[in-house]
Formats: sequence, structure tokens, C-alpha cells
Amino acid sequence: MEVRPILSAMLRNKTAPLLIAAQVALTLAIICNALYIIRDRLSTAARPTGADETNLFEIRFYPHRPIADIRGMQIRDLEALRAIPGVRSVAWVNQIPLGQSSWNIGGLTTEPGKRDSNIQATYYFSGGSLIDTFGLRLIEGRDFQSSEVVESDPRKERAEPQVMIITRALAELLFPGAASVVGKSFYLGGSDDAKPVRIVGVVERLQSPSAPAGARAELSMIAPITYLDGYTRYAVRAEPGQRERVMAEAEKALLALSNDRVLLGKGGFDELRARRYSGERIMAGLLIAVTGFLLLITASGIVGIASLWVNQRRKQIGVRRALGGRRVDILRYFVTENAIITTAGVLVGLSLALALNHVLVGAIELPRLPLIYLGLGALVMWLLGLLAVSGPAWRAAQVSPAIATRSV
Amino acid sequence: MLKMQNLSKVYRTHMIETQALRGFDIHVREGEFVAVTGPSGSGKTTFLNIAGLLEEFSSGEYLIDGVNVAGLDDNARSRLRNEKIGFIFQGFNLIPDLNLFDNVDVPLRYRGFDSAERRRRIEQSLTQVGLASRQRHYPAELSGGQQQRVAIARALAGSPKLLLADEPTGNLDSNMARGVMELLEEINAAGTTILMVTHDPELAARAQRNVHIIDGQVSDLEHETRRALASLSTTPEAV
Amino acid sequence: MFRYYLSLGFRSLRRNPVLTALMVLTLSVGVAASITTLTILHAMSGNPLPHKNEQLLVPLLDNLPADNGNDDGEPPEQLTFMDAMKLWEQKAASRQTPLYGLSPAIDSGRADLPPFFTEGVAIGRDFFAMFEAPFLYGDAWSAEEDARAAKVAVISRSLADRLFDSGSNPVGKTVRISDNDFSIVGVLDSWNPVPKVYRLIGSERFDTSEDVFVPIRTAVALEFDRNGSMDCSSEPPAPGFQGYLQSECNWVQYWAELDAASSRSRYADYLLAYVNEQKALGRFVRPPNNRLYNVGEWLDSRGVVDDDTRTSTWLSFAFLLVCLVNTVGLLLAKFSARPGEIGVRRALGATRADVFRQYLTEAAVIGVVGALIGLVLTWSALAYIRSLDASLALVTRLDGTMLVTAVAVSIAASLLAGLLPTWRACQVVPALQLKSQ
Repeated sequence: MEVRPILSAMLRNKTAPLLIAAQVALTLAIICNALYIIRDRLSTAARPTGADETNLFEIRFYPHRPIADIRGMQIRDLEALRAIPGVRSVAWVNQIPLGQSSWNIGGLTTEPGKRDSNIQATYYFSGGSLIDTFGLRLIEGRDFQSSEVVESDPRKERAEPQVMIITRALAELLFPGAASVVGKSFYLGGSDDAKPVRIVGVVERLQSPSAPAGARAELSMIAPITYLDGYTRYAVRAEPGQRERVMAEAEKALLALSNDRVLLGKGGFDELRARRYSGERIMAGLLIAVTGFLLLITASGIVGIASLWVNQRRKQIGVRRALGGRRVDILRYFVTENAIITTAGVLVGLSLALALNHVLVGAIELPRLPLIYLGLGALVMWLLGLLAVSGPAWRAAQVSPAIATRSV
Repeated sequence: MLKMQNLSKVYRTHMIETQALRGFDIHVREGEFVAVTGPSGSGKTTFLNIAGLLEEFSSGEYLIDGVNVAGLDDNARSRLRNEKIGFIFQGFNLIPDLNLFDNVDVPLRYRGFDSAERRRRIEQSLTQVGLASRQRHYPAELSGGQQQRVAIARALAGSPKLLLADEPTGNLDSNMARGVMELLEEINAAGTTILMVTHDPELAARAQRNVHIIDGQVSDLEHETRRALASLSTTPEAV
Repeated sequence: MFRYYLSLGFRSLRRNPVLTALMVLTLSVGVAASITTLTILHAMSGNPLPHKNEQLLVPLLDNLPADNGNDDGEPPEQLTFMDAMKLWEQKAASRQTPLYGLSPAIDSGRADLPPFFTEGVAIGRDFFAMFEAPFLYGDAWSAEEDARAAKVAVISRSLADRLFDSGSNPVGKTVRISDNDFSIVGVLDSWNPVPKVYRLIGSERFDTSEDVFVPIRTAVALEFDRNGSMDCSSEPPAPGFQGYLQSECNWVQYWAELDAASSRSRYADYLLAYVNEQKALGRFVRPPNNRLYNVGEWLDSRGVVDDDTRTSTWLSFAFLLVCLVNTVGLLLAKFSARPGEIGVRRALGATRADVFRQYLTEAAVIGVVGALIGLVLTWSALAYIRSLDASLALVTRLDGTMLVTAVAVSIAASLLAGLLPTWRACQVVPALQLKSQ
């Protein structure tokens, strides 16, 4: 409609429109990237571990003096835990998803003696069934049989497992394109004496304790090993709704069994998740705050400048009204003017957003910004501009036409 | 053309009530050139604002070109202003950031003409005031007399039936004032009704008819002082 | 005259309260965001030992197998126990210490204080002097105690306060550490190098320093488990703790301190000679690939400042830029709302420079107020981050430098923002502006 005269009037007073446009551009560039990082971090923090998180908890002890009969201690502990009403399944575990400290083995390979493999996976082991206790979904093959469990005493020797259950992610990495991997073998490293390990089952998903961002989080394998270490960590899966009570009773029962050890911690996945992803959450929170303030500040800037324009042009508005402009015409004038400025800012902002993204991609491990975020950001800026200018524009529309005949 | 009967206008603040117009009666016929005079504070401007639909009145009746103004909403009043009334202000009131073309364009856009029609009218009216060659200039680049002529062009472009002029020469020196006055007389001769507020008795004397407002009331009516100036055709550029 | 401008500036703050509030808020939020992230970045990227930067060195040796997979050409980030002990015994530098992390159990024997675990390190006696650990009581153990693996310990002030009457001197008393009685020889005063430069691997980098310090030979003789990371390129030759001592597993950190006279290249030559000597014994099969880092280089190479911190700093400064642009716009609005005043002042004899000074002072006044509110916001933001992640407690403290920086940034920002509007204000011609609209 009246874009051209508005534009030419604006070109006579460039400073303020330029400032608003610059602000819109910078804001857009920042919020596009911020929104993307926020989503990236929050979706990383929300990934499922593959375990039955609502009903599972862990409880950890460490001896403060050497323990003579570790095997006996583990057996008694497990029995005591199973005796608690509401316990569905219990297992000694070396590590737990999101627990952050982990055992990893690198150089996994399907060819014996191949030393330059860079496939690394986290190494879960337990004398019990992690499928039952963690509540994993078995998608191929079977769980371990009790005859397959080996006993390992780290003070004496290292026992090698014969069989393993691996995650689908690891299966796809080791055997790309294979329809089935059950029965296939791979090697834990490329040394000449490495023995093959046979896959008996595949679980849909099991995250590692460190749960790094990206696909590496699900490269896990499980071995049937009873490990005789003084450090004890039990995973307990309770019946639905009973976790809190079972957790309290488990602590009591285990402390009553032995006074040679100290409770290091107990907790469910809510706590593990909160601890593992505190960094992601701080980052997302900070960016949400920055985005919120940015929008607020940009809106306030637009309100401020638009109010100024309205005040400066009261006479002009009166004249327009006297010449037959309706209220809606005045409203439309200011909204159009603002839309032009916002659009200019948005256009510059889109390229700025890409440039900023380029810097961030180089500086941190952030994937390229999907175009949808640019569209979303542009939309947000337009709506923000509209919202911010609506107040001053409405005030402009209320200016009486009689002001045109006033001499000052 | 314009008929007010028993019109009154009261300004109220929370303390004081000011009667700006009371029992105001006036009848301006089509084609007249009426000068409205009166001391300052007499209600001249209020009368002009009400006549031009810039302000509402408190009671009474007002008909413009046969249309009863009472009860019209803001949009209808805007429409009426746009179609039937042209304004000329003492301070010219051109929009400083728009060039002459765009200034004259303002009311035409509100009228909703297409761009070809607008262009035709803008060029015609600017030609009429002798500034067609200055279309791309900005108001600040013109003299006061030229600015007022642009304002007149803007008022004429929508072919209004009534031209309301508020001290049209108040900010001009006498030379320029004469030129503007001659232009107004020319326009009147072409059939447009003109209602001019002025405190200059000399200018008032050139109108067909003088109306004097004192203390919110019309005190002097039907004083015919018509001068046959329609035949005089001084070129406006002679200023 | 400056005081006159200042009073005009403060008066002007009150004249247009909404616009002023917007400007102050904008500026303070921008300052708060940038100072908050800068505080964390500043602390994280700090060097706690700048005066010893060139003297303290970390040597790395490449004991990886010849056909190591996954090869980025860098040696492992820690040493084997064997190499660390040999370098320590050879004493090629003026001071040196091996180091590995412990999580010792402390048993006070008191009924009201059940056994608990804490953080510790196994080190040599030079450690305390090298990293300038402040002693509250006692001193480091002797070289002789190091050599004979004496059961002696230095403990932190907070552990001493927990175990003994606070304020008393526990030197000479006994503390039971992981089922062994240790004699306390020293107590460290509060000591928190940020980042914890001496133990960047296998520990929280921004955590407080450890509670327990014991001689490394003692820790090894008692088979105190390692609390930290370990990389093994081959299986240890024997099971259990003893196996790790003889293995090619890298799990011991090492520091050497050169005195001012001896040169880094001399020490590098020494390391090369050591590797060549070991090669003759069949170790170090790869071409010599040693590294020697000083403190600053070591902090850089470990990437102490994480990407998120860097990104948030970048973003918050971009944020400050937006705040700045916004302030320019609002100031412009504020100043141009009163051309009449400027015109009258000019007509009454103010020079252009007077107007310039007056308006820039007004901008600076906004900067000062913005800085004060910004500091409060910064303080709250840091407290909030601390409450979210306790491990960041040491890096979320506002120190004097950052306070000054905050005020300086805020005032500089407001002056910068004030320049354009002020310049525009100066262009107003001396006249009674009120006449024309």
C-alpha cells in the first residue's frame, strides 16, 4: 500500500530506523543460534537411557577397611535386597547409565589382530541379569545363561567373558548392514592373544555412564562377570510406585549386614540425570534467560523509539487525520513503518545468524543451523515488532485531528 | 453547503466549564467565500474545528452538504473530511519528510484512488498552484508562500466542495499573502465554497461575506462586500 | 562545571522515568550477562601460578605400541608409574613430584563421626614448595620419609577442623587413613588454586584442593587405590595392584620445577636421553615423541575452559552489543525529545563543547546507575549458577578485578552509546527551537 512514501520518509531520517534494524538483526542472529543450542542441549538431556528409569535406583558402598570374603558379602547383600517386599530384580553392577564413571574398551574389531580400529564401547558387567534389573528391551537373541557367568577377582587374575550382549548401535557399527548379529563374534582389541567374544543378544538401547552427546552414547556391551571387588554398587528395580520405600529399606538392610563399609550414595535416575546434565541445563537456562531478555530489550527499544516518533509527529498525525485519514489508517502507517524496519533487520539478521553459526560450528561442536530455526527466528522478530509497535501506534491513532489547527 | 443551528460547544475540565460556542447559527451557501473574524479567544478556531469535523460539538445541529453530522462515527467523519473538505492551515502543516508529490498524495491515498488517478490529480493540482516543476522537492526547500500553495494544492487535489482556511496568510509576508489570497479567490471563482478564518480586516474585506464571532456567538451576518476579482488573473508565480 | 552537568544528568534521569528505567535496565542486564560469563571465563582460564609459569613443567613420554590404533600423534597425558618414579629418583630438575589421586577413608574412631571418604593425593615432598601450598601448622615431610615410605600425612585445614578441636595444632597426632595410622606432620591453610592446575586429569578442575596428602611410596606400599583415570595400551603383566606398578598403563601425573638458571631445552634433552636409554631396554618402541609443557601451555592443552563457557561468553557479549544499540536508540530518543532545551542553552551562550560535555555526562550517569544495578544482577546470577552446580563454586566469585571491570564496561558502554546521540544533540543550532515544529 503506502510502502513507498513511508520508505522515502524513513530515508530522510535514517539513524533511528537503522538502530532498530540493527538491533533486530543482532537479536535475530543470537536467538536463532541460542534457540538451536537450547533445543540441542535439552534434547540431549532428555534422551532415554534404555533402562526402566522410574522404578530403578542404585546404592553404592565402599569399604573403609579390606574385606576378606567379598563373594560372601555380595551373596548376602543380594539376598537381603531380594527379601525386601516390592523388589522386582536386583543385580551387582560395575556401572550404571548416567553414573558418569565408566569402564570403556577401545579397539573393538571383527577382524583378529586388527590394531587400528577406533570403535570404543562402554563395558557393563554383572553376575546377574541386566536385562531384568535395568529393564532393557531385548530385540534379538537371548539373555545370558547362568553357566556363561564367569567369576573374576581383580587381585588375582582377569577373567575373559566368552559371550556378550550388545546394543543395536554397537551392532550396527561393528557389523554395518548385517540383518542379524547373534552368533557373530568380535574381539576386545587387536592384540594377538585377544580371544573372540560371541554375541548372544542385542538390546534396543543402553546408554553409557558418560552419555556423551550424539550417537556414541549408546555404544555399550554387557558381559556376564561376577566381579569380586570391595567396591559394591547394586541396581535395584522396584515394583511400580514402591521405589522410595524400597530404597530406604535397602539402605537399612545393607548397613545392618556389615559395618566395614561406607554408604557412598543412593538415588534414582532423576538424580543421576540431574547430575549428568547439570551443565546442559545451566547452558540452556542461561540461553533461555539471554533470549528472553533480548526479546524484552528489543521490544522495549522498539516501544521507546516508536513512542518518540509518535510524539515527534503528533502534528503530522493530526494533519493526516484532518485530511481524512481514519484511525485505522494511522495505525496502519506506524505498523507498516515498523514492518519495513523489522523486515530489513530480519534480512540482515538471517545472514548474521548464519555467520554466527559458522563461528560457533568452528568453535564448538555444534551442527549447522537448520533453516527452520531461521524461519522461526524471523517469525518471532516480526511478531515481536508488531507487538511492540502496537502500543505506540494505538496511541498515535488516538491523536485528535484538531491538533492540526493548533499553532504550536 | 454548511448549516449550523443553535450549536454549542462546552469544554470541560474537572474544575472549569468553558462555553466556547453558544447558540451558534450560521448558514453558508454553496459557492460563497466567507471570512470569519473575531478577537482571539472568541471561538473562531473552535468554530473552524467543528466545521471541519475535527472536533465534536456538544449540542445543536450541523449539516454539511445536506449530511447531518451528529451521530456520525469517527470513520464516517474521516470519510466526510476526505471527500468534501479541504484544509489550509496557518502553519502550512506539510509533512517535512515527504516531497511535494507525496504530500499532495496523502489525502488521495486515504480516498482510495488508484495510482494513475492519484498521479493525474496531483499533477493537476500542483500545476494549478504553479509548482508542477517542483514535485520532487521537499517542503524545507521552498519559501513560505510556496509551501502554502502546496498546502492549497493538497487541499484541492481531492476536489472538495468546501475549503476551510485557518489564517492562510498568517505566517506570510504581505507580498506572499497577496499571492495566496488571489489563488483562493481564483479557486472560489471556480465554484469551491471557502470559509476563511482571519484576524486581518483587509483580507476579510476581500471576502464576499464577513462573519464576526465574539464570545462564542455570531454577531454580524450577511455583510456583503463582494469584490469582483474573478476576472483578475495574476499568475501565482509572480510572488 | 562537571558537578553542574552531573546534577543535570541526575535530574534528567527523573524527568523521563520510563525511558530512563528502560535504558538503565538494558544496560544493567547487558553488563550482568557479560560480566557473569566473563567472571567464569576469567576464573577458568586463570593461571594460579603466573610467576612460576616458565619454571613448572609437565613432561609427557610416548610409550604407546608401534602400531597404535586411533593415533592422533600425541603421547598419553600421564606417565607410567615406572617412568614417573625413575624421573623422580634421578632428580634432574631442582624440584619434582609424581602425583596420583586417592580417595582415602578417614576413620576418626569417634562414635559421633562415622568413617567417611574424602579426596587425597599421593605425592613427593617437593609438591608443597612447587605449588606454594600454605602451611598453617608444621611442614612437608622429609626426603628421608619419602624414601622409606613413612606413614606421614599433611592434611587440609577443613579436615583438621573436622577431626580435632578447631584451633588446636594437630601436628604429631595420628589419623587413621584407609585402615592405617598416619602421623600428621603438617596442616595446610585454605588453599584453592583455580583451576586446580596440579591435577587437571582425573579430578574436578574447579574443586577445592584435597584433604589428604601422603608420600607416594607409602600410598603404593599400602596399595591405596587410584582415584583418577588410567589408559592401558596393553594388559598389565600381572593381576592386581602390583600389576599396574609394572605395566605400561599411564596413570601417574608428573611435575618438574626448574630453577631460574637452568633451561627448558636442557630438561628436554634430559628427557630424550632418558627415553633413548629406555629404548635400549626394549621400551618406547615409537620414535621419540616427548612433550614438555609449562603451566600456561598445560592449561591450554588440557582445554580447561570448556566450549560452553566460551560460547556463553561470546553470546553474552553479542547480547551486550544489542543492549548497547538499544541504549543508543533510547538515548537518541531521550535527547531529541528536547531540542528546544539545547537550542535555548546554545542561544544563552553554551558552546558546542559545553553541550557535548553535558550530554555525555548524562550518558555516563546512566552508565553508573546501570553498573550498580548490573553488579547486583551479576552477583545474583553467579549465586544462581552456584546453586545449580556446586562444582562451579570457586569460579563464580566476583573478585576486585571483575568489580572494576563491570563498572568500567558499564560506563564505557554508556559513553559509547551516548556518543552518537550527543553528537546529534550538538548539531542543534542555537535558536528558540520552540517556534517551528
